Formats: sequence, C-alpha cells, structure tokens
Amino acid sequence: MDKLTEIRWHGRGGQGAVTSAELTALAAIKEGKFAQAFPSFGPERRGAPVLAFNRISESEHIRVRSAVTQPDIVVVLDPGLLYIVDVTSGLKDGGALIINSSKKLVDIKLEFGGPWQLAVVNATTIALELLKVPIVNTTMLGALLKVSDAIKLDFLLEPIEERFGKLAQRNIEACKRAYEETSVAEPSPTSKKVERAYAKESWPSWQELAPGFVVTEPGNARSYRTGDWRAQCPEWNHDRCIKCGICSLFCPEDCIRPNERGYPEADLYYCKGCGICARECWTQAITMGEEVKE
Amino acid sequence: METLGIYVPRLVTKRQGFTPGHRACSGCGEALAVKLVMKALGRNVIVVMSTGCMEVISTQLPYTAWEVPWIHTLFENSAIVASGIEAGMKALNRKGTPLPKAKVVAIGGDGATFDIGLGAISGAFERGHDFLYVCLDNEAYMNTGIQRSSATPFGASTTTQPAGKVSMGQSTWKKNMPAIAIAHDIPYVATACPSYPFDLMNKVKKAAEIEGPTYVHILSVCPTGWRIPTDMTIRLGRLAVETGVFPLYEVENGKYTLNYDPPRLRPVEDYLKPQGRFRHLTPKMVKKIQQRVSVEYASLKEKAASG
Repeated sequence: MDKLTEIRWHGRGGQGAVTSAELTALAAIKEGKFAQAFPSFGPERRGAPVLAFNRISESEHIRVRSAVTQPDIVVVLDPGLLYIVDVTSGLKDGGALIINSSKKLVDIKLEFGGPWQLAVVNATTIALELLKVPIVNTTMLGALLKVSDAIKLDFLLEPIEERFGKLAQRNIEACKRAYEETSVAEPSPTSKKVERAYAKESWPSWQELAPGFVVTEPGNARSYRTGDWRAQCPEWNHDRCIKCGICSLFCPEDCIRPNERGYPEADLYYCKGCGICARECWTQAITMGEEVKE
Repeated sequence: METLGIYVPRLVTKRQGFTPGHRACSGCGEALAVKLVMKALGRNVIVVMSTGCMEVISTQLPYTAWEVPWIHTLFENSAIVASGIEAGMKALNRKGTPLPKAKVVAIGGDGATFDIGLGAISGAFERGHDFLYVCLDNEAYMNTGIQRSSATPFGASTTTQPAGKVSMGQSTWKKNMPAIAIAHDIPYVATACPSYPFDLMNKVKKAAEIEGPTYVHILSVCPTGWRIPTDMTIRLGRLAVETGVFPLYEVENGKYTLNYDPPRLRPVEDYLKPQGRFRHLTPKMVKKIQQRVSVEYASLKEKAASG
C-alpha cells in the first residue's frame, strides 16, 4: 500500500479551513501526487466549528471517500476550539498536531502533548500584521510545511496566486513567516489526556422521533450552546453603565439580562460575540474583549 | 455616573417566543427581527414559515427555537397554509367546537415573498383571510449562499450576479413589494426595521389586532451577505432609513403615514460605503441610485401629505 497522509483541519465557519484544505490538495496535485480536499459541516453559520479534510497519496488513486477519523496530521486554526472540540480524537501515534495559539510551546505541551509531534505558531498575530485580518488559512499552511513533507512550498505558490490574486504576495509572506516561527516539540511517549467536558450533542435515533418529525417540546433549542462560536466577549464597565438596557433590546440572541445589581449581563452560553451591544451602547460602557476560554 | 430610572426591558416583555440557542450567524438582523416580532405578538399565535434562513437556523431537528405552534412549509406555501389554518379554525367555530382564538402569522424571507410565493400571497390577500404576513427582507437568497432575488437592490454584488469586468452586480431595481401589497387594498401595510425596535413592535402589534390580511415588511440586515462587520447590523438598518433607501411608513386603509421623516436625508453614499456588496460602485452608479431614491422618497412624501 502506498503512503497515504490524512489531514484534518479544525476551524470556524468563515475562517478559511476549507480554503486551506483546497490549497493543500492543489499543491499536492501540482507535485504529481493524488489528493482530496473536502469540508464537513451542518447548517451552522459563520463562527460555528467546522471540519475540513485532506488525503494525499504519493502515487496511487485514492478510493476512500469518507470523512477522516484517524488523521496523521491535525491542524487547529482557532485556539478557542481546543477546549470545545476533541482535536486529538483518533490522531495516530507518530502523527502531528499543529496549533495556532499565542501560548508558548511548553505550556501547550502540558495540555496537549502526546505520542505525536506538537507544533505551535502564533498565526493570528502573523495574519493580523501581514494581512490585517485574523484569517489564518495561508499562515497555517506554513506551519504544515514545517511539520510535514506531504506538500512543498514551491508547488503551493501557484495555487495561492490563483486564489488570492493581488493579495497573493502577502499571503505567501505570511506562510513563509509562519514556517520560520513555528516551534516544534518531539513526541512524548505517553499521552496524558486531560479529561474535558466537550460540548457534545446527543442525537436521538430516528425511532425515537415523533411521526412527522413533530417537536413537542417548545423552545428546546435553549439547550443548544452557541457560545462556542464566540471569538470576542462583551465586557461591561459598571462605572459607565446607566442600566438603560439598549444592549438587551438589540441582542439578536436575546441573551442579555440584568444581574442581581441591575447591570445588564450576557449569558455566555448563548452569546455569539457579534459586538452589536458594544457598538450600540450609548455610554460606551461595553467593550469587546479577547475571548479567554478556561 | 448617575443611574437613570429608565430601563428599556421594562417596556418590553421578557418572555421569549423565539428562544436563544438558534443557529443564526453572529450579528443576524433577521434573528433580531423575529425576536422583536415574537415579543410583540405574545404567545397566542400560530406561525407558518416558508423555507429560508430563519427556518433552517431555528428548527434543526430535534431542536426548535419556537415557543409557539409552528409549522414549516415550502417556499411558495406559507400564505396558502396560513389561509388553510384560518379557514379551518373558522369552520370548527361554526361547527360548535371552537378553538381558543389565535392569530395566524405567516413569515417568509424575501425569496419566498418577492419571488416564489408571490402568487399565493396575492391570492390570500385577495380572499381576505384574517392573517398577518411578515416579510423578512435581507435582499438575497442568503440561506443558499447569497444568490440574487428580486429584492436585491441595484448594483449589489451577489454570487449569481457578481461584480466584475462584464457585470456591475445586480442590473435591475428592487421590486416594490409593499406597493404590491398596498395595491391589494388590504387594511394595513407597514415597513419596519429592527434598528427602530419600538416602531417595529408597535406596527406588528397593530397589524395583528386588525381583522383581515395585513402585511409588515421588515428590512433585516445580513452581515454575511451584505459583507459588513457583525456589529454594524443596527447601524446599517438606521442608515437605510436615514438615507431614504428604506423609508419607514404605514398605510392604513389607503392612508399613508411616514413614521420617520428626517428634515434632510443623508446621501445614499453613507449607506452604500460600509457594505462590501457595493464596494465596486462607480460615482456614476451611486448618482443613479441617489436619483432613484430621491424620486421615490419624494413621491412617498407626497402620498403621505395628501393622506
């Protein structure tokens, strides 16, 4: 059997995980390899966790069409996802885990070290500096190049130019800089997997559903956590807040309620971090802070 | 700072007809519009909803974000199903097994209202069913990926009419759907925008109380499709009203009232500039849009003045 490399991308809707996977496949094909790229997501919208997959084979046709469950390489585009999705699920021993994070390699290793190579790059900062947007798809490709020889930079240039046109040069720069700045740790023999309560959905089987798919429990979407989609988190400055409640009126999630002292507060179980409350606050009491998870 | 005694939520019910946990994009103007509509309507309603963004994001099996009886219909059917429910309730009343009184509300996006369901809506208005039709107008088929609809304004870039060397985005003008509803001589037609929440809720309440077919047209800003930052939703809705692109008015038995009439309209450029879908517009096209908006606004003002 020919060597088959399987890659799983964890990103958020609108962040470019799908583009990353496509560019990876195009680069592999340009090199003369066989490759697949495909995304996987439900009807969730911008900001929701999404998956994208790659299969790269040296010289053989790829017949498998299913989603990748046992990847050789996992790339995580958003640091916030680390605590809501089990990114190491199925990751092969001797594989690689590539994470976009502002944290240091040693700190990440304490949490996500295991029998795989661990690579960390602060892609968001690089993207913000070079591209002026927090979209890290091309930047993370640089980290992938460092860890794996599945694709090569020379073959990646052309697909990037085709895709980004005028912006290609800056994207290539971001990619090269990420290559240099990625720090890699060798595999540690044992995995000390930290148990986390991942937001899991329990799906009823079709036999349990009412005929005609009638949902008999009103408003049961309340149990669905949309707070995971958030990249920024609203914070109230109580010195400025006049408790007018405009923020709660304009919240599309209807998740802002007064707390026991009468100050409005967002229910972070639902808040998607759109920033409307901060924009519409008359006294500018609300600021959108960087989301900190755990 | 001194704490003021006003607190907006005191004026608005805390009860939710439309719950959080729905899967709209962050900053969705349509979710906000539905939230306000449901707060205005209360619990005693039956909602019929056409296919569209709102249907997909609010009722993903096995979840529902609705706290009221809710039925899904196809794009073209919401007015028909609403008519059927209303007629059915009437028949049960006549046969001596009355149901508790409930208002039937049909909700559709701009695709369902302007394009696919137009004939059915016209029929239901003409037959005079006692129902409220709410159009959530986000100016394209956002659910399937920003394809043009007949609600897409002139010049907007969509995935089916992208701006480029050959095409300059949408080449036709937005269909005047409220005018079509008015032409049916129904008792109440209104336009609203969630950026003016109390105006919106008052209009929906009023429309629900009136017997006979009523129509409320809501401009719901779509950050994804309009290509704007998610926190600009409310501001863009306000700009649409302040520039006269989307005037707020109501027509009660043929009598026009302008609800918001600024002394001077802002130039449309203020509204077009923040939006990525209008990024390619040339000054010539902006001028063309400005002319059209001015003419339409003047004619509306005239109608409002003559009563």
